[in-house]
Amino acid sequence: MEVVDKGLLKQLVEGRIADDDVDEMRRMAKKDHQRFWTYLDILQEKVSWDNTILMRLNDHLYIVMRGNERIVKCDCGHEYGDYRVNWKLHTDIRTRDTQESMEKVYYPTAAAPDADWMEVREFFCPGCSAQLAVEIVPPGYPLTFEAFPDLDRFYREFMNKPLEDESPDWFKDKTADYLAAL
Amino acid sequence: MATVMKETLGLPIEKTLAYKLKQRDELYNESGCYWGIKELTLKNQDPIKFEQFFSRLQSAVFAAREKARYVAASPGGREMGESVWALATAEGDTLAMSLGFISHCAAFPVSVKHMIDNDFEENPGINDADVFGTDDPMTSGAPHPGDTYTLVPIAVEGEVVAWACSVNHIMEAGAPQAGSWPVFTVDTFMDGFVFPPMKTGENLRQAKWWDNLWMRRTRAGAMNILDDKMRLAGCSMIHGSIHEIIQEYGVEYYKQACKEIIEESRIMILDNMRASLIPGRYEGSSFRISMLKGQQKIWAHADRNEMVHVHAVFSQDEKGGIVFDTEGSSRWGYHGFNGYPGGSDVGLFLGITTTFAHSCKASAGVNMNVNSIYHKGSIYNPDTEFASCANIWAQSMQMQCLSSSAIHRNFFMRGYLEEAFAPEDSWDGVQGSGVLADGTPYGFTNFEWVGGGAMGAYPFKDGTPCTWAQHTQLCNVGNSEEFEYLIPPLHHLGRKLEPGYCGHGKYRGGVGQSSVHWMQETGQRLGVTRGGSATSMTSYLASGMNGGYPAPGVVTVTALNTNIPELIKADGDTPTTAGEVLEYAAEGKLTGEVTSWKYDPPEQSMGDNDLWANAAGASGGWGDPLEREISSVVEDIRIGQLPESFAKTMYGVVASKNKLGEVTLDQAATKHEQAALFASRKAESKPAVEWWKEQKAKVESHSIREELLEMYRSSTSFEGYNKHYRSFWQLDDDFEI
Ligand SMILES: [Zn+2]
Repeated sequence: MEVVDKGLLKQLVEGRIADDDVDEMRRMAKKDHQRFWTYLDILQEKVSWDNTILMRLNDHLYIVMRGNERIVKCDCGHEYGDYRVNWKLHTDIRTRDTQESMEKVYYPTAAAPDADWMEVREFFCPGCSAQLAVEIVPPGYPLTFEAFPDLDRFYREFMNKPLEDESPDWFKDKTADYLAAL
Repeated sequence: MATVMKETLGLPIEKTLAYKLKQRDELYNESGCYWGIKELTLKNQDPIKFEQFFSRLQSAVFAAREKARYVAASPGGREMGESVWALATAEGDTLAMSLGFISHCAAFPVSVKHMIDNDFEENPGINDADVFGTDDPMTSGAPHPGDTYTLVPIAVEGEVVAWACSVNHIMEAGAPQAGSWPVFTVDTFMDGFVFPPMKTGENLRQAKWWDNLWMRRTRAGAMNILDDKMRLAGCSMIHGSIHEIIQEYGVEYYKQACKEIIEESRIMILDNMRASLIPGRYEGSSFRISMLKGQQKIWAHADRNEMVHVHAVFSQDEKGGIVFDTEGSSRWGYHGFNGYPGGSDVGLFLGITTTFAHSCKASAGVNMNVNSIYHKGSIYNPDTEFASCANIWAQSMQMQCLSSSAIHRNFFMRGYLEEAFAPEDSWDGVQGSGVLADGTPYGFTNFEWVGGGAMGAYPFKDGTPCTWAQHTQLCNVGNSEEFEYLIPPLHHLGRKLEPGYCGHGKYRGGVGQSSVHWMQETGQRLGVTRGGSATSMTSYLASGMNGGYPAPGVVTVTALNTNIPELIKADGDTPTTAGEVLEYAAEGKLTGEVTSWKYDPPEQSMGDNDLWANAAGASGGWGDPLEREISSVVEDIRIGQLPESFAKTMYGVVASKNKLGEVTLDQAATKHEQAALFASRKAESKPAVEWWKEQKAKVESHSIREELLEMYRSSTSFEGYNKHYRSFWQLDDDFEI
């Protein structure tokens, strides 16, 4: 296999692919460079809104164009604002900080984290309540910014298709600015 | 041109190791290419010859591994993937590796550099077929003293042109706390038998005194000597093969081709990185408890609990190579969870080598594409020469999983889903020492849950159990019978997968495995502890994948003075996993003193019918658990991998299993239960901004337990992380954390 076609990739994205096909993809000597475009095509067809997807961040979240902005958007349509701010700051957060509540998500009970030291944070989409992320950290721990891609560099250098609105400003973490303004 | 001689060695200066090392670094710094090689001349002139040459090198190291293990070896060395043989350049850069512990290629150049920098060429001399050994983290790049190295120089007319290298994990390290990974260590003097690079033999034979040292300084001397012979047997084979190859191809071809091999793979590995990664910043963290408070009274400075913080940001350099910055990770401490940069790299390279050194020659080319940043004073680069590194395989494997996690997120973001999974798997090694009834003392390590764990969930399917090991392609949990034979008092009452034990999600992680060790004929004394990457106080990594839960840590359950003989007599129904030990105890069926440990237990004195149960190797989930197919939950119940009670709380699936193993789904109750779980998300959560304000108040009022405040103080003593922490909570510069 040299190129993964759209039909097969769709099966992979939707979790209904045969194991043999997955094995064959793993045996590709070189990954197909155009995969990224096919992937975006499939994802764009699956969402109900029109903003152009620049990158997939998460099972449900995408970095998309909105006018001259680049924002994070859920497939349900909920918008999280500027992608340079950790999107977790626009979610709903549930904290499990008792032993009993932690034992609801780990089994056997001996495997559950210790509520005297750690807390479980679950991040939900305010629009559709999908669980977008889980963190298990001590209280007082800053939110983890899991992925902050350098879109301009990726599109220009890695994909040979520069974005039209390139600017060095796009790769500046704005999380602290957002928090300072609260 | 007149030849400049190094008189003391009787060699032209350019044939000395010191000169080669300096030249290699200068040329690389100038050109960005290995040894300044801008063109692969030999490859381009005659590619077939070049490839044949490389395949000869590769065959030599493969053959060494496959044969040496049957010359002599401990069971850990022979059966499991806990070893590697390699051929390196004169400077210690790897050219070819056998299967096994391939990330140890990061250590060889550290050992070789140490020997060169300390004038070993002059004294004790580095001659053809000499034997050198080491396991010292500070000087040799070894992760910890359990990983023991043998290095044999290969010289032609006095000029060292290569090293045959080997490493394996020995059975007992000779520390005050017996086994392979003492966790109650204060400094290097409690790590066991630590030796910097030294000459231990000549003409492919070890000196007698060397065997005596193993016998006197470790508790499994005979096993460790067998492993020593195994490593040397393999190195000796490589030594022989390389001399033959040099005869055939000529020494000049050999030297030049080796440089081209590494430069070629440097380029190809960089290509592989650029072909699958997305430049950016990827943050991750993990935690490991060191619980020493009150466990001893002799070393007052180590009488404390410490939450070790692992923090890293994964990014790319201007070429597309990996930059891995561990700033924010804790300061080193008086515990075993430290490591020096060489050993830290051996940890980091576990995932990087296996992920990117494909479709090309797996050589030191990979090392040149990674810039690992270990801040001076941290757990990965202590600003003392005396730090203990005994249990480095805890926080270094967590650190490597953070790197792998970033890589796998990249695969997902770029559409290469077939390669993306939640890369977590914890390990656990039961270890200890004892005295048999006849007075024979011994030490032991049970490697079973070191050799393999589960794969994490993919974005399209569940992870598989017992099929993965971060540190080797040769995942293998070993033979129960062999372990029982070697560790006389430990018998498997159970050895199987632990139901429900994984990170859950839309796709769940592979389920971890559990053993129940039943003590019999414990003789005069038996003391048991564990070494392990994780404890269940924390999850393995702090972040799960896209809504899935991260893998749980390692479970340890002990049961003293049990009624096992009565249970055997009654109906033979005894607990077979750590979870079952707790269940049987809760039901009153199992009696005795049963303890579930969320941290490393102190040594347990064990007698007949005591139990040590553990569960490890669980992996992480992917995606929102409420999106999991109900049929998959039902199937997990049917195959005994998910208890019905937990299926309800975790997935809202209400189903029951009858005596025949048939599962009936209650569709109406499931619909109701799932709706309730879904509704609880809105009801029990709050907007992030509100959450942030509350947490900030907590941080500002120090309403956090003291050990965790200490952890934050430790991490924020590094400038960059201090800025990160203060800006996230919007703390004034003069606020005391
Ligand atoms: Zn949504």
